[in-house]
Amino acid sequence: MARAREAILKDLADGVLNLDEDLAVRAAQEAVTAGLDAYDAITNGLVAGMNRAGELYDQEEYFVPELLICSDAMYAALAVLQPHLKKEDARAKQKCVIGVVEGDTHDIGKNMVKIMLDVGGFEIHDLGRNVPLASFVEKAKEVDADLICLSTLMTTTMDGMATVIEMLKEEGIRDRFKVLIGGGPISQGFANRIGADGYADNAASAVRVAKEICKMAAAAA
Amino acid sequence: METSIAIPDDSQSSLERVLCYLRGENPQRIACFPLILNHAARVLGVPVGKCIRDAELFGNAHVAAYRRYGNDLITFLSTTSTLAEAMGQPMNFMEDDAPQLAEPLIKDLDDIKRVKVPDFTRDGRLPVYLQATEYAVAEVGSEVCISTVLAGPFTTAAALRGADVFVRDLYKNKEWVHQLLEICCEAGLTYIDEILKRRSLPIIVEPIGSASLVSPRMFSEFVGPYLKRMADHIHANGGGFPAVLHICGKTKPNWGPMREADWDIWSLDGVDMGEAKEFAGDRVCLVGNVTPTNLLKNTPAEIDAEAREICAKGMGSPCGFILGSGCEVPINTPGESLDALIAAARKYGRFDQKERCRADARNL
Repeated sequence: MARAREAILKDLADGVLNLDEDLAVRAAQEAVTAGLDAYDAITNGLVAGMNRAGELYDQEEYFVPELLICSDAMYAALAVLQPHLKKEDARAKQKCVIGVVEGDTHDIGKNMVKIMLDVGGFEIHDLGRNVPLASFVEKAKEVDADLICLSTLMTTTMDGMATVIEMLKEEGIRDRFKVLIGGGPISQGFANRIGADGYADNAASAVRVAKEICKMAAAAA
Repeated sequence: METSIAIPDDSQSSLERVLCYLRGENPQRIACFPLILNHAARVLGVPVGKCIRDAELFGNAHVAAYRRYGNDLITFLSTTSTLAEAMGQPMNFMEDDAPQLAEPLIKDLDDIKRVKVPDFTRDGRLPVYLQATEYAVAEVGSEVCISTVLAGPFTTAAALRGADVFVRDLYKNKEWVHQLLEICCEAGLTYIDEILKRRSLPIIVEPIGSASLVSPRMFSEFVGPYLKRMADHIHANGGGFPAVLHICGKTKPNWGPMREADWDIWSLDGVDMGEAKEFAGDRVCLVGNVTPTNLLKNTPAEIDAEAREICAKGMGSPCGFILGSGCEVPINTPGESLDALIAAARKYGRFDQKERCRADARNL
């Protein structure tokens, strides 16, 4: 007899949280076999585990390697569950364009933020690293994004973030997007100075700030 | 208000000042180590990409920067992946910025065979670094401390493998990681010998060992033991040179295992200097930690205020305190910002005017 829903969800969450990809994938297969709702398995299993991992990261119990391996486990199990999602489960998500600004190829921080925003329910459009500044604006318009996330580790490229904001202003579309920035040399003071909507100093806080500024945007609309 | 304090002249030379720390004496005023790396090209007025690939320009730029600013340490480094580059790691060079890592050399575990201890007369830009070092030692070695900087084994390994894959290897391929670290450590120890031969101070930077990336447990397993070997090697072969370690970003969670690695001087970045003094001041001399971006973006008065606060926390640290930048001085830092930083060491780091120092501290 198939195990109870709770037991399978727990294995999904634990597989992710405990860096155990095999457990997460096995539990995902079991969920499919048992006829568990795929959306339920993802949200209350995998995402719950990843959110807990994010909390541990925030508390300095987990660090970059742990969070990346948790996400590997999550995505491996997600690949099993995704084909079984029902059409009506496709909810409208807030859209986020993310990338590392031109001149910089350091992308670990960006990738961590991307993972946590994905888990946090954003639809992600990842432009990668060393991204031409105009591409952020183009992509944001193209997908009608809610949020633009800009990352850099270098002081020589940080002013590119201000340029992106200027470009949005010049096109008269600054109000259509929230801009969130982060990375080694970035601070709240710099974010204020260039007129960004938010600043985050790690992947966990990035999701909190993103939700906060996007919620405010939705409420004002 | 801060800038209105007169800046006392130095009567001690830069080298005398730094030697006081090694003798356990108080210098006239604290030393100042702004980590001038690629910024040196600006002083000479040449593009960064050109400066760091030409021994003569590289050497000249750092001597020119010292003459311009009076920094108490010359630091030869353009990027922490220089040793990896000489070991075969491809780089992307830029016209006016530091080079960045291209695709990793080690794509499959088996590619570890391709990694070798470099030939220091030939490989990568090691000859550029070493010849520039020789030039500076000959030119200004009698008046200022000269250092040549290399990445620790963990950072070099991450550069060869790609940091995102490497951090996963820490869980999935532990033995293999140790094999790679062993090669990187051997390369580093050989580099240290080459630097010592030229009477330059070897400084190790281990940014990938930052607590922004790895946990204390990982640090103890993969970073600390190799750093310890490097420190021991410098102690055994350095002719009295101290072992100097710089780690950027957050480090506080890893201070415990860092202390085990037995370094004499810690150069720190994203930490509270007062907490660092409390934790390790009895064992290590502390360097730091004005926020690099603030050197680029803030006014001289703001930089003065930040440096003053850091001095108030660091001064009196039992093994000494040196004012510095938390990490590399940004390439486009205005000259007057560095002037403000070094002037702050003159104003707030004095040992020859004790009464005023205390009065200043009370007014903070």
